[in-house]
Amino acid sequence: MKGHRAPWFTVCRKYFPVLLLLGAGFMTRAQDMQLTAIGNVTGVPSAMKSSELLSVLKGEKQRWSDGTKVTIYIMKTTTPVGQSTCKKIYNWSGDKVKRYWLELAFSGKADAPTFCNTVEELESYVSQNPGAIGIVDRNSTSNGVKMILIDGKNPF
Amino acid sequence: MIGKGKIIITYAIFLSCVCFSFTSFGQRTQIRGFMDVLTGFQDDKVSFTLGEQDLFITSELSDRFSFLGESVFKFTPGTPTTFSVSIERAIVKYNFMGNHNLLIGKHHTPINYWNDTYHHGRVLFPTIYRPLLFEADIIPLHTTGVSLQGQNLGNLKFGYDVMVGNGLGSDDVLDNDKRKSITAAVHIKPAEGLRIGFSWYNDEMAAGSRTHDGKLITWNVQQNLFSPSIAYFGNKIEVLAESTLATNHTDTTGSKQTFAGYIYAGLKIKERLVPYIRFDRLHFQEGEILFDKNNTTSIVGGIRYNINYLTVVKLEYQHEQTELDKNINKLTFQIAVGF
Repeated sequence: MKGHRAPWFTVCRKYFPVLLLLGAGFMTRAQDMQLTAIGNVTGVPSAMKSSELLSVLKGEKQRWSDGTKVTIYIMKTTTPVGQSTCKKIYNWSGDKVKRYWLELAFSGKADAPTFCNTVEELESYVSQNPGAIGIVDRNSTSNGVKMILIDGKNPF
Repeated sequence: MIGKGKIIITYAIFLSCVCFSFTSFGQRTQIRGFMDVLTGFQDDKVSFTLGEQDLFITSELSDRFSFLGESVFKFTPGTPTTFSVSIERAIVKYNFMGNHNLLIGKHHTPINYWNDTYHHGRVLFPTIYRPLLFEADIIPLHTTGVSLQGQNLGNLKFGYDVMVGNGLGSDDVLDNDKRKSITAAVHIKPAEGLRIGFSWYNDEMAAGSRTHDGKLITWNVQQNLFSPSIAYFGNKIEVLAESTLATNHTDTTGSKQTFAGYIYAGLKIKERLVPYIRFDRLHFQEGEILFDKNNTTSIVGGIRYNINYLTVVKLEYQHEQTELDKNINKLTFQIAVGF
C-alpha cells in the first residue's frame, strides 16, 4: 500500500517543514514589521502620540489644526504592510478594519480611506494630496512627503 | 445647420465638463450595494424571500462638500412590476469647521443608534430583522430637512445632531403645514466600542394629514419622542439597548404615552461566530390615536456567522405575541451581502 501513494503526497510531506517555516516567518513578519507614518508637507503635524494616530486613522478627525482636510491612505489588508497596520495600530483583524470603515462610510460619518496596492502608490497619493496621511514600512524620500514621529519614534 | 452646430458644440462642451469632473473627483466616488435573500419557515410552509437591494453612493465633491445617496429597490405589491425604487437618503454635506458639518437633504432621522448606523445595510445588522420599534412606525425613520452635526469632540468624543425638517404627514418635496419637526440628539463615546446617546423629537401633525402608512389623522397631534440609547460592541460582548417614550397629545384625548424598546445581546464565541438574543416590547396606553394600539412582545434567538466583512449568514428563531393578531413562530435563514 505504501508504494501506491500519490507523488503530490510525497512532495508535500518532504517540503512540509519548509512550508511551515516560511508560513510562520511570513506571519511573524506581518505582526512585527516596523511601520512608518508619513504625511503630506501641508497640514499634517510632524509628531503625534500613538493615540492621536489611531484617532486619525479611525476617521475621528476631519481637519488638521490649520484647516486642511484629513485624507487617509492605508495599504490593502491583504498585503503584509496592511496586515501589520491593522494589527499594530488598530489592534483588529483586516476584516474588522474593513467592516468598521464600511459601517462608518455607510452612516455618512466619515469618508473611507483609500486602500493602496503598493507602497509606491501610497507615497504618490500622500505626496499629491495636502492633508494626506499614510502608513508604510520604510522611510520615504518622495517630494512633498514628510515623516511623522509617533511617540517620538519613527519607525515605530 | 448653424443651430445644429451650436447644439453639437454645446454638447461637446458639456461632455468635456462632465469628463473633466469625473477625472477630477471620480477616484473619490464610491458606489456600493447591499442585498439579502431569506428562507423562512412559518405556518407549516417554507418560503423564499427576496430582500431589499440597496445602492449606496458617496462622493467627495470638493474639499468641503460631499454627497451621500442611497436608493432601495424592493418588492412592492400592487405596482405594475411588483417592485419599486425609493430614495432613502440624498444628502449634501458641508464641512464648515473641524468636525462640524451642515447637512441638507433626506436623512435617516438621527434619533437612535440603529437608525443612524444600519437602516438598510442588512449585512451590518446584528439580527435579521429590524427591532419592532422601527416596524411599528413609532419613530420617524426619515426626515427631509437641514441639520447641524458635530462628532468626536473632546475626550468623551461628544457628538450632536440638531435637525429641522418637514414634519409628520409631509413628503420629500412639500411640507403639509407650517410646523417643522425638530430633532436634537447628543451622544458620547467614553470607551472603545461604547456609545451612549439621547434624543428628543418634537412635531405637530395637522388634522387631515396622513401617517407614513396612510392612516388619516382627524385631530391635531403634538408629538414628543424621548429616546435613550446604549450600544457596546466589544471584542467579546455586544449589547444594544434602545427605547422610545412617545407622548401624543390632542385636545380631545389629552396626552397618551407609548413605550417601545428592545435589548440585543450577542456573545462572540469566535471572531466570526456570534450567537445572540433580542427582546422587544411595544406598549400603548389606552386611548392612543396616532399609533395602531397593538401591544406586542417578541423574543428572537439566533446565530450569526461572518464569512467575511461583506458576506454574513444568520439563522434566527422568532416568537412574537401580539394583542390583535395570532402569535407568530418563525424560523428564518438569511444571507446578506455587500458589494
